[in-house]
Amino acid sequence: MAAIADTHEYPQAVVDEFERLKQECSICYQCGTCTSSCPSGRELYRGPRRIVRLILAGEIEAVLKSDDLWRCTECGTCTSVCRMDIDVAAILHSLRQLEREHGGLHCAERTAADVATTHLKKRPRIDNMRFGVAMVSRGYVPKDKIGAAEMGMKLARQMLPGGKKRPGDEALPADAVTLPFYAGCAIPQDHELYAVVHEVAAGFGVRLEESADPGCCGHPSRGTVDSLFASRERVYTACPACDASLAESGIEAVPLWDALTERAGRSSSISLTASGERFVPYVGCLADRDAALAALGDAAEQSGAEMAVDYPTLHNGCCGALGGMYRGATKSSARLLEFAARQQAPVVTTCVLCRDNLRSAARELKLDVHVHFWPEFFRAVPTAPEERTDD
Amino acid sequence: MTSSNGNGSARPLVLLCECAGTLTNIDFDRLEQHAGLHADVIRGTHWCSRVGQAQMLELMDTGAKGGPRGENGRQLVFAGCSADFAARRFQKLLARGLQLEIADIREGCSWVHGDDVDAVTDKAARVIDSSIAYPDAPADTMSYAERHDTVVVVGGGVAGTQAAAELAQMGHHVELVERRPFLGGRAARIGTVFPTNDCGQCLPTTDAQAGTRKCFHRNVAIDHPDLSIHRRSTVEAVTGHPGDFQVSIRTLPNIVTDACINCGTCETVCEVESSEPGKKAIFTEFYDGRVIRTVDLETCTFCGKCAGECPVEAIDFAQSPKRTTVQAGAILTATGCEPAPEKYFDYLGYGHDGVVTQVELTDMLDDWTAQASLGRMPVEELVMIQCAGSRDQRHLPHCSRLCCMIALKHAIRLKTLFPAMKVTICYLEMRTAGVGYENWFLDARRAGVEFLRGTPPEVQFDAAGRPVIEVEDVTAARKRVLRPDLVVLSTGMVPAEGTDKLAQTLAVDHDKDGFIEILDRKNRATETSGEGIFVCGSAAGPKALIEVNTEASAVASEIHNFLTSAGRRGTAATRVDASQCVGCDTCTARCPFNAITLVDRPEWEARPEEVKDDGKLAVIDAESCRACGICAANCPEVAIAHNLSDDALFGRIATMTQGVDKPVVGFYCKECAGAAIGLAGQRRDKYPESVRLIELPCLGRVSALHIVEAARLGAAGVFLAGCAEGRCQYRTGDTSALEQMTIAEEVLADGGAPLPLELWHLCAVDRMSVGRRIRMFHARAVGDEFSEALVEHEMELIGATAAAGAGCPGGEPCGCHR
Repeated sequence: MAAIADTHEYPQAVVDEFERLKQECSICYQCGTCTSSCPSGRELYRGPRRIVRLILAGEIEAVLKSDDLWRCTECGTCTSVCRMDIDVAAILHSLRQLEREHGGLHCAERTAADVATTHLKKRPRIDNMRFGVAMVSRGYVPKDKIGAAEMGMKLARQMLPGGKKRPGDEALPADAVTLPFYAGCAIPQDHELYAVVHEVAAGFGVRLEESADPGCCGHPSRGTVDSLFASRERVYTACPACDASLAESGIEAVPLWDALTERAGRSSSISLTASGERFVPYVGCLADRDAALAALGDAAEQSGAEMAVDYPTLHNGCCGALGGMYRGATKSSARLLEFAARQQAPVVTTCVLCRDNLRSAARELKLDVHVHFWPEFFRAVPTAPEERTDD
Repeated sequence: MTSSNGNGSARPLVLLCECAGTLTNIDFDRLEQHAGLHADVIRGTHWCSRVGQAQMLELMDTGAKGGPRGENGRQLVFAGCSADFAARRFQKLLARGLQLEIADIREGCSWVHGDDVDAVTDKAARVIDSSIAYPDAPADTMSYAERHDTVVVVGGGVAGTQAAAELAQMGHHVELVERRPFLGGRAARIGTVFPTNDCGQCLPTTDAQAGTRKCFHRNVAIDHPDLSIHRRSTVEAVTGHPGDFQVSIRTLPNIVTDACINCGTCETVCEVESSEPGKKAIFTEFYDGRVIRTVDLETCTFCGKCAGECPVEAIDFAQSPKRTTVQAGAILTATGCEPAPEKYFDYLGYGHDGVVTQVELTDMLDDWTAQASLGRMPVEELVMIQCAGSRDQRHLPHCSRLCCMIALKHAIRLKTLFPAMKVTICYLEMRTAGVGYENWFLDARRAGVEFLRGTPPEVQFDAAGRPVIEVEDVTAARKRVLRPDLVVLSTGMVPAEGTDKLAQTLAVDHDKDGFIEILDRKNRATETSGEGIFVCGSAAGPKALIEVNTEASAVASEIHNFLTSAGRRGTAATRVDASQCVGCDTCTARCPFNAITLVDRPEWEARPEEVKDDGKLAVIDAESCRACGICAANCPEVAIAHNLSDDALFGRIATMTQGVDKPVVGFYCKECAGAAIGLAGQRRDKYPESVRLIELPCLGRVSALHIVEAARLGAAGVFLAGCAEGRCQYRTGDTSALEQMTIAEEVLADGGAPLPLELWHLCAVDRMSVGRRIRMFHARAVGDEFSEALVEHEMELIGATAAAGAGCPGGEPCGCHR
């Protein structure tokens, strides 16, 4: 029961802040334009209008508990389309701030934990290996609850961090540059992918310097991010979720792919190559859509690969994740994968989460479509006359 | 008892009324004795009785008509009920010329005070003293003989034309000025209109015609001999003042003369394309029955081919623009509104083939060939987007009021013509307030139109160029993706082009959306801030035809009243004392009615020493002045003489507060606050005798000087009461008073003697609470706020069950925390 009466449970600071937010959005018409425009809510019905309505209704509990807060990528579209000039994105930002300070257990990581424990009440195990391992490593779920019995344990042991040494520096050229890199949680868990990222970067003459413990990027309630890097300079990332979270804690995060593409564009000795002639681009919901598409476009141009585009691919869609966990193909992912199947081209995405989710969706839809993460598709090659490697 | 000398004695005559014994807390013997010091007194038990009124009539016959000393014989002071009440009781005598100065010892004294006979009698004596010494200014009837019996109507749409025709039928001369070559305006050109679902090109008929209405081209009302029409004309300049405007009108030639027989030869030989698609430089448009064809002067190359071919020699290129000046008594602005320009809704994909506006849809519905210009036909699915650029802080903040009904009208029409078409209306709120409008909403629902609550942020297009709309269905709480063949934007309306310039020319205010501002939103919807300048129809905000027609008739009667009335004002206009005026612009900026102008000071006019020869002088236009006194209160040189002079006002304050311990002075306007206070007196809502009220014509009359004077005379607190918030009858009196109060507050604080000061907004409904408000203010001012006796008394009044709370006990919105 969340009603106006529940306000007494909250400290005065929360009540006051709610009053301020209420004032700020008091002229809301509830026209729904913000939600119509919200990339995070494109498929799953979500969006800021409902949050604003709950603020106006004084339902503090319901607002702070809402998953929607953590699904916001701060893209600012809602603010830019609001007919009443309400800074909706800032309101959501304030709410997240409020939740962190006076927090219940509602941030993304904890929501995921919630999902995991609820799942375990109904089913014996968590089959999604990566998700399961993430939950085990954070201590939310006992080890024997992931994967198919022993096989699951074996895999999980491999995937748990700390076992394997970091990819080496062997392929680095002499004039390599070093960039501060934040790997986040998803990439290091997949050793192969982790290696590919470093390898591809090395191909571009880039050495990725990581902080000791990548930990959880965020929804920086854990407060670790601040201590990750000595200075608050820009940090390069390989995951749009990390970008959003780091940006929220005030660190300038730059997608690694943008930097690599730009480096190849500038340098005469490096050129980009693609492992296919054409591909379907997909940027997902978290990334800055225009920037990510532009980076993919640049990469396509430099490598000579052709982008196959249609309406669904050009928009932030939804790969099918909710609360960090794959829950089946969505209309958007189905549309995308069917298009890719018709085009007989792989999907290339800049989001590591989308990669996994789209692969699951393709399996579910029984579509023969390959889904690649950016470094799995694009590589650097030294510019040599007429030399093309088939990778 | 009466004075023996009846030949204009300087000694006033007080008619003292005991009000049939209801004024029990007044010692009438002592009061009579006191009044007798300055005046002759006739005491009556009940002056409004038959006997009393007969006695008054007798007094009138012997030469005592009242009025100030020396003008109409003796000054008559009636000491009894309030001015409002007396005006009703003595209505017939007043109509016969009796002038009574009212000393209110009933509602303003006896009925609102307690049983302290000495104190109440003292106060009554002060009230009478004040009325004797400082009477109101005499009534002023102004002759409007100079008003020209001509009205200039700007705008020849349905509003302007109908008002013009009605004014002509009432016997006034009318000059109708229309910018375009054709009459009829927008309504005549937009096909069918709601709520009647027929065309909009008719006007009400005159008695001479059968039927209730006729098309413009068949309606003889426009042919009235007193109605002259200026086409292709604009108002260039306006000078003069209300009743005597000089309006300069510029007229472009029509080239095609009245001889035209509409054969169309000219159009076939013309080789020049007009700026409007599909039209030649010589063209016809809406046939208003008088002008048939015209020439687009912008594109015409003046080759003369058409003139050569015209069989009736109706084309005359020798005509040139001309300027006429009209003497007019009143001006009517009926310039209407027009569809918002593209920049307000281009974010919704406008410009793309699959996106049109409702205006364009009208053309398509009326003219099937227009459909050919659209990409995807036949339309299977159509989406209308309401509030496209309207009710939007970044575009048009206002509601254009018409768009909901237009959408319903078109949706129903589409469903009738194409039952299989899927029509969806994305709306923010359907506003169908109007007689019979709701039925349209229900009819549309029955016809199968889908209503989707939610408006999209953009219209996208897929690879095939088909519109894609992603929109939240708010009521169903889901997202929808619509893929219509055609998107129709319900765009808003803006003031007709040139409205701002016209407002500037006429020196009238416009609102923040650019429409002509009306004088009073509730009661004076057809008048502007400029006296003698009227407005009707959509020039004051988008309106449906039904309202436009009503307003056109209303404004015609309003103008008729203005031109024929003997004057609206009973009090003299305010005057500027040239020997004090330094020609600053304070008063001109302050006057809510634009009645004051700065002129070059004439040679012969007096001037203060510091003013050089080229100094300006403020002049108040007696016709526009409404005698509120705002200018007088704000004049830094105290150079403006209001009919309630500063001397009289200071005198009233001094007389009323004399001999009172810790008086509380209340200034109130005689308009809304006067009604509240008077009615509270009728309810006998009691407050202490030491509260002394001073009536003003408008609260704007009060200046910081008056407040400081009250403080100097020992006031414990001063309150100001004006009309309801934002509803000052003189527009800005309350804001002026607030500023003056702030100045006084600072002055008093600087002088080390701060005083409780408050400004209240009252209207007649506050009669229930104003007594309590006065009591509480008095208690605060004299430091008695939380005394047990007071709290107990208040609790008694509001019922024992109410909880005793400190501070304001008011249930009504209370201004005590100003």
